[in-house]
Amino acid sequence: MALALPNDVLQAIRAQGAAEYPHECCGLLLGVYEGHHKRVVDLWPVENEWTADIALTEIEDAHSLRDRFYIPPKAYLRADRAARGRDLEIIGCYHSHPDDRAQLSERDRIGASGVGGGPSFSFVVVSVMDSVPGELTSSLLSADGSAWEPEPLDIKEI
Amino acid sequence: MAIRVSIPTALRQFADGNGSLSVEAATVGDALQALTAQHPDLGKQLMLDGQLRNFVNVYLNDDDVRYLQGMETPIGERDEISIIPAIAGGK
Repeated sequence: MALALPNDVLQAIRAQGAAEYPHECCGLLLGVYEGHHKRVVDLWPVENEWTADIALTEIEDAHSLRDRFYIPPKAYLRADRAARGRDLEIIGCYHSHPDDRAQLSERDRIGASGVGGGPSFSFVVVSVMDSVPGELTSSLLSADGSAWEPEPLDIKEI
Repeated sequence: MAIRVSIPTALRQFADGNGSLSVEAATVGDALQALTAQHPDLGKQLMLDGQLRNFVNVYLNDDDVRYLQGMETPIGERDEISIIPAIAGGK
């Protein structure tokens, strides 16, 4: 399964990552399933609402919006209703890694546990180095939720 | 009474691909129990040791049931239950 991503959506993710630097940006991907593939139609930016109460590790106070993100359920619910009204689905999410590579982390894996693994939900991450957006990758959470697997990206010029 | 439970996209694989299911229930807890009895693999994704997993949330209409009466929250005919993930992470 590949993730088809229109270039304008890709650029919008990169722009959001740059605009919110040095904080992590985040949001949801709205789109459709087409056979074994997913096609992004639009994005749904979400305010990063991470606080130290969102327990990803035992010592969260040392972290901040610079290296953590949180998409709260209320934001997911709003996006889901908006998507359904447009005959779309939430097919993935995205966030940025300020001053780090576009590689998903163990914290990302723990924080994805509510979504569930498998090919139906993509996790996109964009690297933003010194406020300049760079590499963007997509991954899938393995079916048992234990590991990240790379997902091919199909960038569409529209 | 029959109540509709909506399932988020990535968890539909554990519910035979359904985006929503109808179950007979009088409380939120009854509804989840009926749902997980029909789809045990979905239950494993939602619950751990009888509690909702971290980052798994259950809403009754617009409200998180944790801030209502939890699993004892009564449900009415026009209510809708939504299973809603939260997503977190960081580098």
